[in-house]
Amino acid sequence: MFKTQPQSTLDSSRDDLAVQIQHLNYFFGVGDLSKQVLFDISLELPKGQIVILTGPSGSGKTTLLTLAGALRRLQDGSLRVLGKELVGLGDRALVNVRRNIGFIFQAHNLFESLTASQNVEMAVELTGKFASKREQSVTMLSALGLADRVDYKPKSLSGGQKQRVAIARALVNHPKLILADEPTAALDKKSGRDVVTYLHNLSRQEGCTVLMVTHDNRILDVADRIINLVDGRLESDSTPNDFVQHKTQEALTEVSADMFIM
Amino acid sequence: MARVSVAWSNLMHERTRLIVAIAGVSFAVVLIFMNLGFMGALISTATNFYEQFNAELFLISPETLEISTSTAFPRERIYQVAGVDGVERIMPLYSEYLLWRNPETGVSRGIFVYGINPNDPVFLMPELQGTEARRILSRPDTAFIDRLSRPEFGPQEIGTTTEADRRRITIGGTYFLGGGFAADGTLIMSDQNFIRYLEPRPLSLINVGLVKLKLGVSPEKVAATMRALLPADVNVYTKAGIIEHDSAYWLESTSIGFIFSMGVVVSFIVGAVIVYQILFTDIRDHLPEYATMKAMGYRSQYLFKIVLQEAIFLAVLGYIPGLAAALGLYHLTATATAGTLPVAMNGGRVIFVLGLTLLMCSLSGLISVRKAVTADPAEIF
Ligand SMILES: Nc1ncnc2c1ncn2[C@@H]1O[C@H](COP(=O)(O)OP(=O)(O)O)[C@@H](O)[C@H]1O
Ligand SMILES: [Mg+2]
Repeated sequence: MFKTQPQSTLDSSRDDLAVQIQHLNYFFGVGDLSKQVLFDISLELPKGQIVILTGPSGSGKTTLLTLAGALRRLQDGSLRVLGKELVGLGDRALVNVRRNIGFIFQAHNLFESLTASQNVEMAVELTGKFASKREQSVTMLSALGLADRVDYKPKSLSGGQKQRVAIARALVNHPKLILADEPTAALDKKSGRDVVTYLHNLSRQEGCTVLMVTHDNRILDVADRIINLVDGRLESDSTPNDFVQHKTQEALTEVSADMFIM
Repeated sequence: MARVSVAWSNLMHERTRLIVAIAGVSFAVVLIFMNLGFMGALISTATNFYEQFNAELFLISPETLEISTSTAFPRERIYQVAGVDGVERIMPLYSEYLLWRNPETGVSRGIFVYGINPNDPVFLMPELQGTEARRILSRPDTAFIDRLSRPEFGPQEIGTTTEADRRRITIGGTYFLGGGFAADGTLIMSDQNFIRYLEPRPLSLINVGLVKLKLGVSPEKVAATMRALLPADVNVYTKAGIIEHDSAYWLESTSIGFIFSMGVVVSFIVGAVIVYQILFTDIRDHLPEYATMKAMGYRSQYLFKIVLQEAIFLAVLGYIPGLAAALGLYHLTATATAGTLPVAMNGGRVIFVLGLTLLMCSLSGLISVRKAVTADPAEIF
């Protein structure tokens, strides 16, 4: 079976980009009930960058992440992930794209019935490397500080440890792109910080791109870049320092404006 | 290294649920086995007397429904096949109902009578073998009575004298045969006595023609030769064939077949529903994990396989104790009914029920798997 890919007339794909989004619109529902949640998004994520996506709740961050992760079909605009155009792809082709992406969720979603290592091995099995899967899994868990926990079931692990197992599962196949949605939300301050530090170090070693949604102001410093999404539109795109300064200024002007009215 | 068996681990993880599931499957398996066992036993009691017939081939009229509802046919027919290659001996068998009076209560009751030539070794019961038995059988107004006849027929002691169709009769001997579904009791008497009690019945019309074959001769082959020789007023059956013929009649004409088949169907559904409940709950509890697997790049068919594997595991894990329990209950039933309900296991049934169990669990698996397959990886963020 041969499928002809819709050939983009404006083929401006670039090798140095992990994610390239052009004029992306996204709607939930169909017909009268259809509701647009993303408006004309254009965004480029160079390889190796750690990008934090922030914004108020309901602004479309998760939706954008699931689209970039090939978890939803999409029809409009252009979305290239690791050199592959996702717009117009069928379910089978989307599954193949997913295998090159590491996902980290707010909930760890580990199989309670499997040990830490087995949970990670499930990811390795997708690559067919059955002979080395245990070794790969143990190496990755050790890199995350879980060398002495490989054969524990999730029940006997702390929240932070479980999240690290989930990260090991996402990273064990060395994906070139990692998508994380509030990975620290369920963790206490210390474990949250640890998890992000591990993620940061691994990204630097492996040279992979990280797109992470977070509300957690304490971890903004690991980012190379911070993108703010409001009501489905890109509001700002800046470095952590600018972002923080901007936020403070905003707060100041709000205060002075209030004073002025009084 | 082998694949991580998600199916096995998931089942083993929830012990209580696993035990409930296994108990549910076992329960259904036992119910199915008991229904089939009772059906088989009842049908075999309807026909097991044939085992005591000393013949390989049986000639009956096409109008004969079962042994006690038979249409007589000309004795000529067995003489016609007497010369066929492989035939050792041909023997006529007469049968009819007679009113037997209980000498103690005076109440008469229909008893099933076999009439035989005393010199023919028609039956295999040890009590009927030997010259002494032949001599007693040849006495006038004498018959052997079945020890398995209902007690309502009265005393079965040798020498007891009573009346059959208003004519004196003496019990000359006893044997163990059983009358199947039709007869409450049986008698065996000589053909000469038979025509005396059942006047005006001629000996030229017989009810069953028995053919004893030489050793090592194939009954099927001889039967085929005979069928080509004989006119349409008589059919030839092997022993297995006539048992099948009578069983089919009893299955159809009584509600035995229907009742126990319904029992099997209901047990099957009960088992399927239990397994469905268990698998469905299991899938629902693991939905985020299944969705995560899809996000990682596993295809729906892999989840499909996991659920189906769980179903197969449950089938096998439930079948084994179910089979063991059924064997115990078969033994118990056979003992408790003192062998009158010969519930017994056979290889065909072991395989058949295993197949049924696998089908039951796979069906439940297929119905419940839809939920796992529709797990949407986009919904877990
Ligand atoms: N499956 C869905 N069907 C319909 N609307 C949805 C669905 N998922 C999210 N939405 C809507 O889309 C908008 C963006 O949601 P989301 O991407 O989850 O925002 P965020 O992650 O920034 O909080 C919200 O208004 C939400 O109600
Ligand atoms: Mg969200």
